[in-house]
Amino acid sequence: MSTELKQKTTKKEGFLSHPAVKEFTFSAKRFLKNPLSIIGLTIILIFALIAIFAPVLAPPEDPYDPFKIPHDGWKTAPSPPSPEHPLGTMEQQYDILYGIIWGTRSAFKIGFFIVMANLFIGIILGSLAGYFGGWFDEIIMRITDMFYALPFLVMAMALVVAIGRGLQSIIIVMIILGWPTYTRMIRGEIMALRDKDFILAAKAGGAKSLRIIIQHILPNSIYSVLIVASMNIGTTVLTAAALSFLGLGSESGYADWGQMVSMCRDWIVGPPDNRLAYWYVVFTPGFVIAMFVLGWNLLGDAARDVFDPKMRRK
Amino acid sequence: MISIEKTIDADVSINIFLKTEKNHVNLLNYIIRRLLLMILVLFGVSLIVFSIMMIIPPGQRVAIYVKSEKVTPAQMEALIEKYGMNDPAPIQYARWIGNIFQGDFGYSETAKGPVIEGFKQYFPITLELVLLSTPLIILVGVWLGTLGAVHKDKPVDHFTRVFAVIGYSLPTFWLGLMLLMLFYGLLGIFPPGQISNVGKDVISSPEWNRVTGLICLDGIINGRWDIVWDGFYHLILPAFNLVILSCALILRLMRSSMLESLGQDYIRTALAKGADRGTINRIHARRNALIPVITISGLMFAGLMAGMVITETIFNRKGIGLWMARAALQLDVPAIMFNVLFLGTIFAVVNLIVDILYAYVDPRIRLT
Amino acid sequence: MEQLVKTEKVVTNFYTYEGVVKALNGVSVEVRKGETYGLVGESGCGKSVTVRSIMRIVQSPGRIEDGKILLFFSDTDRNQAVDILKRSEAFMQTIRGNEISMIFQEASTSLNPVLSIEYQIGESFRLHRMPEILRETIDELQANLDKKKIPFVSGWKKFQISLFNRQKETLENYERLIDSIEFQLAELEDDGTSKNRRLKDELNRKRDMLRKDDRLVMFFRRFPFLRRYYRRINPVIHRKVVNLLKELGVPNPENIARSYPHELSGGMQQRIVIAIALACHPRILIADEPTSNLDVTIQAQILDMIRVLKETTISSVLFITHDLGVVAEICDRVTVMYAGDTCETAEVKELFQKPLHPYTKALLRSVPKVRQEEALATIPGVVPNLVNPPTGCRFHPRCESAMDICKREKPPLFTYAPGHTVSCHLYTSKEAKS
Ligand SMILES: Nc1ncnc2c1ncn2[C@@H]1O[C@H](COP(=O)(O)OP(=O)(O)OP(=O)(O)O)[C@@H](O)[C@H]1O
Ligand code: SF4
Ligand SMILES: [Mg+2]
Repeated sequence: MSTELKQKTTKKEGFLSHPAVKEFTFSAKRFLKNPLSIIGLTIILIFALIAIFAPVLAPPEDPYDPFKIPHDGWKTAPSPPSPEHPLGTMEQQYDILYGIIWGTRSAFKIGFFIVMANLFIGIILGSLAGYFGGWFDEIIMRITDMFYALPFLVMAMALVVAIGRGLQSIIIVMIILGWPTYTRMIRGEIMALRDKDFILAAKAGGAKSLRIIIQHILPNSIYSVLIVASMNIGTTVLTAAALSFLGLGSESGYADWGQMVSMCRDWIVGPPDNRLAYWYVVFTPGFVIAMFVLGWNLLGDAARDVFDPKMRRK
Repeated sequence: MISIEKTIDADVSINIFLKTEKNHVNLLNYIIRRLLLMILVLFGVSLIVFSIMMIIPPGQRVAIYVKSEKVTPAQMEALIEKYGMNDPAPIQYARWIGNIFQGDFGYSETAKGPVIEGFKQYFPITLELVLLSTPLIILVGVWLGTLGAVHKDKPVDHFTRVFAVIGYSLPTFWLGLMLLMLFYGLLGIFPPGQISNVGKDVISSPEWNRVTGLICLDGIINGRWDIVWDGFYHLILPAFNLVILSCALILRLMRSSMLESLGQDYIRTALAKGADRGTINRIHARRNALIPVITISGLMFAGLMAGMVITETIFNRKGIGLWMARAALQLDVPAIMFNVLFLGTIFAVVNLIVDILYAYVDPRIRLT
Repeated sequence: MEQLVKTEKVVTNFYTYEGVVKALNGVSVEVRKGETYGLVGESGCGKSVTVRSIMRIVQSPGRIEDGKILLFFSDTDRNQAVDILKRSEAFMQTIRGNEISMIFQEASTSLNPVLSIEYQIGESFRLHRMPEILRETIDELQANLDKKKIPFVSGWKKFQISLFNRQKETLENYERLIDSIEFQLAELEDDGTSKNRRLKDELNRKRDMLRKDDRLVMFFRRFPFLRRYYRRINPVIHRKVVNLLKELGVPNPENIARSYPHELSGGMQQRIVIAIALACHPRILIADEPTSNLDVTIQAQILDMIRVLKETTISSVLFITHDLGVVAEICDRVTVMYAGDTCETAEVKELFQKPLHPYTKALLRSVPKVRQEEALATIPGVVPNLVNPPTGCRFHPRCESAMDICKREKPPLFTYAPGHTVSCHLYTSKEAKS
């Protein structure tokens, strides 16, 4: 395929007729025809808009600390939705709507930051290991093996406690513990490509190995890796929320969804006359997390179906 | 039919690695080799855990042993000294490993006793949940995934896909809380915990014969069917919570690998033979489709462990998960290190089983 | 010679995301009893789709839209045809692998990697020769039982015999009923009155209700431990498989039967595929480029094997290839296909000596001859995209002799001489004659 491809591109038939571009536009069209991917895209877009316009939607009391949820008195029991607090308040009267709006920013921050950092480490280590093989590969792979054998959540909890609770620590810890997965994945992709014809052709043409990695291998393997990474934004946010939920997040009142779910644990059962009295505290923040994750998963699923050549023909 | 041997030069094309060697000898060899390798991995795991624990300053590590509110720095120093936390790291590591070989895993403050005792107490509770949910996860996941693939683009398929994507998007902790709110809060059924108060009295009474620690199994052994039911009753919601998530993952994988398998040439051969759809799905496609599912199930197990921590925390089941969560939160270092090693062992064993199963299902794989 | 399989104007489309691929545009072929019939054409012209249509195993986005596929399998009435497009899937399952078999292009992927060779060959027997297998199993058990009598074991054995008997009876019943229902349906076929339609629906329903298996037997066959009794049929099948392999001249049949596909060489894999196809002595063997991925010596061996088999066991072979040399070597008659159309059909000699269709001519010119003097000709232009095929004659964009009418109308089938048909306007339209 490669030689044909080269000939075509060198002929400069114009950007749009390049097979890769055609392929992409074709896939993109199919992607946009799939109802599930549309739903996913819509969900993510809505969240993105909320995150961008957070200061407009919910003006912070203290512009220098917008992630602090304002609270209306210190009454312990949550209050139900009212015109003042459209989604109700949590214990100590923290406004749920405010928390959710600014929590969106936290979620994007967590997701992008962790995934990008992991991807970065993964690409560097994975491509080096996958390309050079030998002892370097061996060492990196054995280390990732060991990380796989570690119970992620427990290690993460201990580490966060060690370096001090808070969202920042959660992010740092998830990067420390998360890179092996990505390294492995990228190495696998590169291993699969390494002996393909066009890489061999490039080698025979005298290309230096670093050039080969950057020019030939990465662009070809990055596709599927990016798709997996995009799907992982959802699960990453989920894991971070789980850590917050377990009591490792920031101090109460910080706009973070996991933290908000954690605060609702005492309000599962209402007073005897109305057992579901506090449903809004339990339901809302978790539901928002679920929607956020669902959006990314739908996107990722659809992307995989459309862009993965193996699934294409069906 | 007459023979047409003449057309085939005796042996041009035979290239069989005859499988006449006794397979079980190979298998035993293989297992022994893998177990040796496992010790190596566990050694690595212990190093990583230990190094991570070393990041924590001694002051924090010792804090769990501090009983009173007011401690002077000097007393603190004395405690650190007492537990040897100021020694060079290699010495501390050697001490820890040395103790392990003598069967001493240290004292766990969260278990209020030696780590081993805590383990004996907590492990059966977790095991019970695992034993109930794992078969469910596999069976339901494989079954629904097959169903979706076989009826691709039919309502069943859409239903299972939606179920899957929702299943693995739901936060475990939130699902657990909602389940508790609805069933326990609203309807007053399926309470949290591992057994009712009445049941607790029974199993802590001297007449109770604790054999396995599994409540249901011990109930059967003791002939107390009310306790069996009691234990099972408390298992339902947590098991459900665990199954939803993991089962969705298996379902998705099974569906896509089944689809891939159904598109292969050998399915065409089977069709041309005159096989019916049922035979094709069951024998020709599913066996091939199970291969990736098997290979991934080792990793799934790791996910199950995380789910266990959260599920046990929410449903207040006093098992390994809850213990680990508490140990991590309070920096109960001996308990953390023990549990990580334990889970590492389990993980390695599960992977060994997965690999053997893999070789069993796929004849192209030879255990080497 | 009598006809055996005949297709009339078969249209098959694939509904893909790119659009509707009109793969077959009214294909008519006819395989006669006792001949080797060739189907040639460029890659992608629809040869495989044609034979898949004949077996009704067109893969998923594809559908047979129109036409007739007639089988003349009746032993009593030579002209009695069965149009399989009107038949049920259950009926097709009794035909496939039994009366019509197929071998494929790529032997290595045609075999299931996780099932043993013995299982895969034996499955043909299980599917079509089950009553026979059961009978032999019963005989063996009975002989066993007569030899020595141990009180408890004998009872269990007797029970096993009764289970096998039950299964055999149900199966024979099933086959008989399917046959009779299909026959009745065929009788009702052409007549579209409402009464007939009701009768037909009823028969169809009845057929769908039929069970291949007895419930009790099913239970025993599924129940853990108890199902071990069913292993009794394995030695019988094993014997049949080994015999078949021996007959096909496969060296070392016992070992081959026990092995898995990846342990065999490509040539051996192709032989196994042939064994699977021939297990039940089909009337016609469809060979879809069986040698295209093998090296030359193995290719010759496989071809020889098919030729010998043709003489000894199977009456007809439908042979697909794009190698005209192979056609000349083993075929009696041949059809040339182009982009889903049948261009020309003739006896091999006639076709090589007197090609009529411009595409056939071009094709023959592109084959190297022993004494090649001028440069090899290639056919200008490219194979058309079948989503938007050329109108009229699909060959017209590349045809040297194309006329106006060719763009507008599809050329009709013209019988040039007995046994030599061609579809090209050159021989039929006024435009050409003038
Ligand atoms: N699964 C499918 N989906 C879409 N189109 C298909 C499919 N299978 C076949 N086709 C189309 O049908 C046409 C005929 O294909 P077919 O496989 O019959 O060609 P062939 O003559 O057997 O070629 P070859 O010599 O390469 O085997 C092709 O143009 C192809 O595009
Ligand atoms: S019909 Fe016309 S275009 Fe087609 S082959 Fe004949 S002459 Fe050529
Ligand atoms: Mg073909």
